[in-house]
Amino acid sequence: MSLHWLKVAAAGSVAAIALASAAYAQTVRVTVAEYSSKTGAYFEKAAAEFEAANPGTDIQIEVVPWDVLQQKLTTDISGGANADLAIIGTRWLIDYVSQGIAAPLDGYITDEFKGRFIDTFLSPSVMDGKTYGLPIAASARAMYYNKDLFEKAGVGAPPANWDELKAAAEKIKALGGDVYGYGLQGKEIETDVYFYYAFWSQGGNLIDADGTSGLDSEAAYKAAEIYKDLIDSGLTEPGVTSLNREDVQNLFKQGRVGMMITAPFLSNQIKEEAPDLKYGVAAIPAGANGDRGTYGVTDSIIMFENSQNKDTAWKFLDFIFTTDKRAEFDANEGFLPVNAEEAKMPMFADNADLKEFAALLPDARFAPVIAGWEEIAAVTSNALQKIYLGEGEIKATLDAAAAEIDGIIAANK
Amino acid sequence: MNRSIFTNPYVLIAPAFLLAAFIILWPLFQIGEISLSNVNRFGQLKGFAGLENFAAVVSDPQFLAAGWRTVIWTVGIVAGTILVSIPVALILNEDFYGRGLARIIVMLPWAVSLTMTAIVWRWALSGESGMLNSALKGLGLIDQNIQWLAQAATAFPVQITIGILVSIPFTTTIFLGGLSSIPDDLYEAAKLEGASGWQIFFSITLPLLRPFINIAVVMNTISVFNSFPIIWATTQGGPANSTDILVTYLYKLGFSFGKLGEASALSLMMFALLLVFTIIYVRLAMRGERA
Repeated sequence: MSLHWLKVAAAGSVAAIALASAAYAQTVRVTVAEYSSKTGAYFEKAAAEFEAANPGTDIQIEVVPWDVLQQKLTTDISGGANADLAIIGTRWLIDYVSQGIAAPLDGYITDEFKGRFIDTFLSPSVMDGKTYGLPIAASARAMYYNKDLFEKAGVGAPPANWDELKAAAEKIKALGGDVYGYGLQGKEIETDVYFYYAFWSQGGNLIDADGTSGLDSEAAYKAAEIYKDLIDSGLTEPGVTSLNREDVQNLFKQGRVGMMITAPFLSNQIKEEAPDLKYGVAAIPAGANGDRGTYGVTDSIIMFENSQNKDTAWKFLDFIFTTDKRAEFDANEGFLPVNAEEAKMPMFADNADLKEFAALLPDARFAPVIAGWEEIAAVTSNALQKIYLGEGEIKATLDAAAAEIDGIIAANK
Repeated sequence: MNRSIFTNPYVLIAPAFLLAAFIILWPLFQIGEISLSNVNRFGQLKGFAGLENFAAVVSDPQFLAAGWRTVIWTVGIVAGTILVSIPVALILNEDFYGRGLARIIVMLPWAVSLTMTAIVWRWALSGESGMLNSALKGLGLIDQNIQWLAQAATAFPVQITIGILVSIPFTTTIFLGGLSSIPDDLYEAAKLEGASGWQIFFSITLPLLRPFINIAVVMNTISVFNSFPIIWATTQGGPANSTDILVTYLYKLGFSFGKLGEASALSLMMFALLLVFTIIYVRLAMRGERA
C-alpha cells in the first residue's frame, strides 16, 4: 500500500518536473527599465500579444527602476540568475561585450530587419563589426524656452549662441520675482552632460585623438567660464549643485526658468502636468565657430549569451521592433523614433517639438565607447561641482580631473 | 545523573547558531574570496589578486576623506541621539494625561521606512520650494532662501540632524525599558532625604540607566555607521563627494563604477572596524558593570 503510494507520488513528481521543464523551455524573461509609469503596462501588453500569437511561449517581464538597473543586472549576472533579454544603457554595453555577457545578434538580423532602423541609432550598439544590442529607446537633447517669459522680457527669438543666451537671461532676470534665466543642472546623473553642451560648442572633444581626456583644453576652460559667469551673475537658479535634472525641469514646468536643455520627454510631462505653459523647443546654442553638439543617448536591449531560449527571445525582439509596437512605445515615453517607417507617421513627423530634436541629430554625440565611462563621468561631475561652488579654480580643477581620467583610461586598457 | 543529549545547552543553541552562521559567515566568506581576486564588473572571478584590492582602496584619497567623515557622522548622530533621547524618555516615563498618545507620536516615525523619511526631507530641504525655507521665512528668521543641499557646509549638518531624528524612537524605547526597571522606592527614599531633581537624576537615574545607554550606543553605532538612505536620498554623497561616508563611497565603488573587488575589500575593512569597535566598547562598558 505504502509502496504503491510512493510509486504514484514518484510518477507524479516526474510528470510535474517534465511539465515544468516543458513550460520552462519556452520561457523568456525580460528585464526592462522603468522609464515611466507606462513602461510596465506597455511590456505586459506586448508580452500578452506575443504569447497569444505564439502558443506555448511565456514572456516574463521584470520592471526595474533606472536607478537600480545596473545594480540588479550586476547582481543577477554574478549569481547566474540573469534574464534572457535586458535593457541596458548603451554606454555600459562595452563591458557586457568584453566580458562575453551579451550575445551577438548578427545571426538573426536580416537585411529587412536592419532596414527598419535609422542608422544613427543602431550604430552605437555595433562593436567590432557585430551588433550586440537594439536601440529600444533613443533620445537627444535640445533647448526648451518659456515663450511667456521671453515675450515679457522682450526677447525676440531663442538664443543662437551663448552670448545671446546670456543677454536673454539678463533680460529675464530683470523681470524680478522668483524667475531665473538659464536653468543649470549641477547634481546627479548627467551633471557632466549639461556641461558638454557648452564644451562641444567651443569645439571640445571628450576624448582627444590621442585617447586622453579633452577636459584640459581651451574649449573646456572656456565652457566652464561661460557657466561660472552665468552662475556668478545670478543668471541661473541659486544653488545649482542642489538641483538635479528633474528639479530643474520642475522649475521650468512652474514657469520659473527661462531656458533649459533637456530631453524630449519633458514635452510629454508638460502636456500632462502644466498644459498651460507656453514653451518652445530650439537648437542648443552654438559657439563662436558655429560648433554645436547635442547629447545623443540610446538604450539597448541585449540578449544574454547564457540564454537557453535565444530563438524565442529573438522572436519577441522581432515583435517589439515592428513599426506599430515601436510607435506605441515612443508615443508613451516621449522618445525619438528609431524606426524609419515610424518616423514618417504623422504623430512624429508633424510634432513641432520632435522636429527640433530630429534636426539636431546630425550634431548628436554619444558617450564615448570606453570602459569605465561611468567613473569618468563621475570625476567630471565632481570637478564641475567644485567649479560651480567656487571651491576650485577652473584651469587647475579641470586639469586635475583630466589627469585622473587619463589614469582611469590607462587602468582599463 | 546522566543528562539527555537533547538538553545539552550546546545542542539546544546549535540550530540557531548554524542559521546565524549560514547567514553571516557564508556571505563573509564570499566577500573575502572576491576581495582577494581579480573580478570583473559582473562579479565573475578572474584569478587571484593578493592584496591589490585592499591597496587600491587604501591609496584612494576619497577613502580617507570618507572615513573621517564617517567618524564625524557616527559620533555626531549617536551622541546627539543619546542626549535628546534621555530627556524624551524621562518625560514619557512620567504619568500624565495623554501619555499613551505622546508615546505613539514619538514612536510613529519608526514605522516609516528610512528611505521614505529621507526623500520627504529632500523635498523639505529643496531650496526653491522646500517646506523648511518657507517655514523659516514665515517665522521671519531668514529673508533669502537657503540652498541647504548645495554645499557640504549646510548639507552635512542637516543630514546628521535627520539621522538624530530618526534614531530617537528606537533609543527612547530602550531608555523607557530601562527607566521602568528602576525601583520606585529608590526615588521615594531620595525624596524623603530631600534630594533635588538634579541629584536624583545624577545619583540614581543615570547610574542605573548606564547598561541601557551602553546598549543604545552599541546598537546605534552599528546601524548609523552603515546607514545609507539619508545621505543617498539627499545628496548622493555630493557635491563633489563632500558628503560621502564609507557606505555611500562603497556603493559608488561597487555598483556605479563596477569595481567589485575593491568594494568587497572596503566592506571587509568596514566590518572589521565595526567589530573591533564593538568588542572594545562592550569590554570597557562591561568591566565597569562587573566592578
